[in-house]
Amino acid sequence: MKLRHSLFTRRQFLNGLLGGWLGAFAVSFLYPVLKFIFPPTREPDEVILPFADFQDMEPNTVKNFAWGNKPGILKRNNDGSYTAFVGVCTHLDCNVTYLPDQRKFYCACHEGWYDENGIHMAGPPPRPLRRLNLSIEGENLIIKREGVE
Amino acid sequence: MKEKKVKKDIRSWLDERSGLSVVFHFLREKKIPQHKHSLWYYTGSAILLFFGIQVITGFMLVFYYNPTLEEANSSVARIMTEIPLGWIIRSVHSWSASFMIAFVFIHLLSIWITKAYRKPRELTWMSGVFLLVLSLLFGFTGYLLPWDDLSLSATKVGTDIPRSIPVVGAWVTQFLRGGEDVTGDTLTRFFGFHVCILPIFLFALLAVHVYLVQKQGMSLPLDLESKEEKVNELPFWPNFVYREMIVWLVLIGVLFTVSIFFPASLEKAADLMAPAPEGIKPEWYFLFLFQMLKIFPSKILFMNGDTLVVLLILLGGIAFFFLPLIDNKPTERKGKIITVIAYLFIIYAVGMSVWSLL
Repeated sequence: MKLRHSLFTRRQFLNGLLGGWLGAFAVSFLYPVLKFIFPPTREPDEVILPFADFQDMEPNTVKNFAWGNKPGILKRNNDGSYTAFVGVCTHLDCNVTYLPDQRKFYCACHEGWYDENGIHMAGPPPRPLRRLNLSIEGENLIIKREGVE
Repeated sequence: MKEKKVKKDIRSWLDERSGLSVVFHFLREKKIPQHKHSLWYYTGSAILLFFGIQVITGFMLVFYYNPTLEEANSSVARIMTEIPLGWIIRSVHSWSASFMIAFVFIHLLSIWITKAYRKPRELTWMSGVFLLVLSLLFGFTGYLLPWDDLSLSATKVGTDIPRSIPVVGAWVTQFLRGGEDVTGDTLTRFFGFHVCILPIFLFALLAVHVYLVQKQGMSLPLDLESKEEKVNELPFWPNFVYREMIVWLVLIGVLFTVSIFFPASLEKAADLMAPAPEGIKPEWYFLFLFQMLKIFPSKILFMNGDTLVVLLILLGGIAFFFLPLIDNKPTERKGKIITVIAYLFIIYAVGMSVWSLL
């Protein structure tokens, strides 16, 4: 039945109302489900390590530290400075290893190679290893995500 | 005499309430055609056999397995060393998974090459493609559960692959991992997929698939279908079922032999911070994908190599799903080209897999 000035029939109106209600009902259930499924895991903004553990590193060696759930790699360069990397291959997320005699980082999963500065040089990796900012304050080594103040 | 009457009474009591006699009548009347390609009819029930073994051994393993970061590896070690005959149960579960997937591939290729998916069996094929995906997901999630070095790296790679899918990729990765990274949460989540979510979907789809096979009856090869003369038939019950049982017995024999002489291995517990071990390999059915990811260069045109691999696989999968609709003139030139593609695909997949082992 349709009233003379109405845009739609009574059936269309009721179907729309019911459908809209069902849709809203479904969304109100889906939203919490989706929120629940994806847990809030964020990378740390910074990690503070005792500098004493890393002070005596020989040049061209690395030490691992925990960067959240990922391995971080602290490398001592030849000039005595330090560089921090996220030790995860930029191809498909495998953990990399440093080969001091070849001065290269290596990922065993699909044979990806990076030079000693973490620049990708052979195999499938599309990007350099991620770098982390590093500062020494007193007795602490402070490692920060790039872009975090 | 009296015993017979009691049996008959029970049967009619049940039938009056369930109507199951329709099913039994159907199975008694069901006929299996006999011709030179009849052997492929046995592959479906071989898959069912191995799936049944997976269900039973899976129930058993769940009694002792512990899906947590701290306990997973050691609980599998306990199954292998302390629980009476635990090593056989786990070996059978691991080998039966491989056998099942091998027979899924054989089943699927036989249907592809004989074009049994042609009208009116398109939906049977499509439900079968879903069952293939579920089988592979079972294999993928199960591979992580022992939580050793190899399985951790395989999972890191496998769950990172969907990231390249446009728009939804990053969400898929997070959903699979239960966060940004593979952690203990991923293990628990994979256990949930493996023993709860995937089985429900698999049983539901299997019911659809088997129903459709019964509804359509067995497919005949193309050359026989066009002939006028009648094809020889074998009654499903009991003749065909007895023959299937012979096949099952042989397969069970082979399965237990390899399970006992080549038991499933267990490496040391995975360390989230350790570098990926040398010589990591996924399960054999993912080797062709593994090799593709390895040999594709980091940049092709304007895309990352792995993005291109993922898009190729995705497009291939979609084409594969709609194959019965694409191959709608099976006896004509197009149909013959698609058969040639099937053979090329087999050569390609086997070739890549062998290459990855060199």
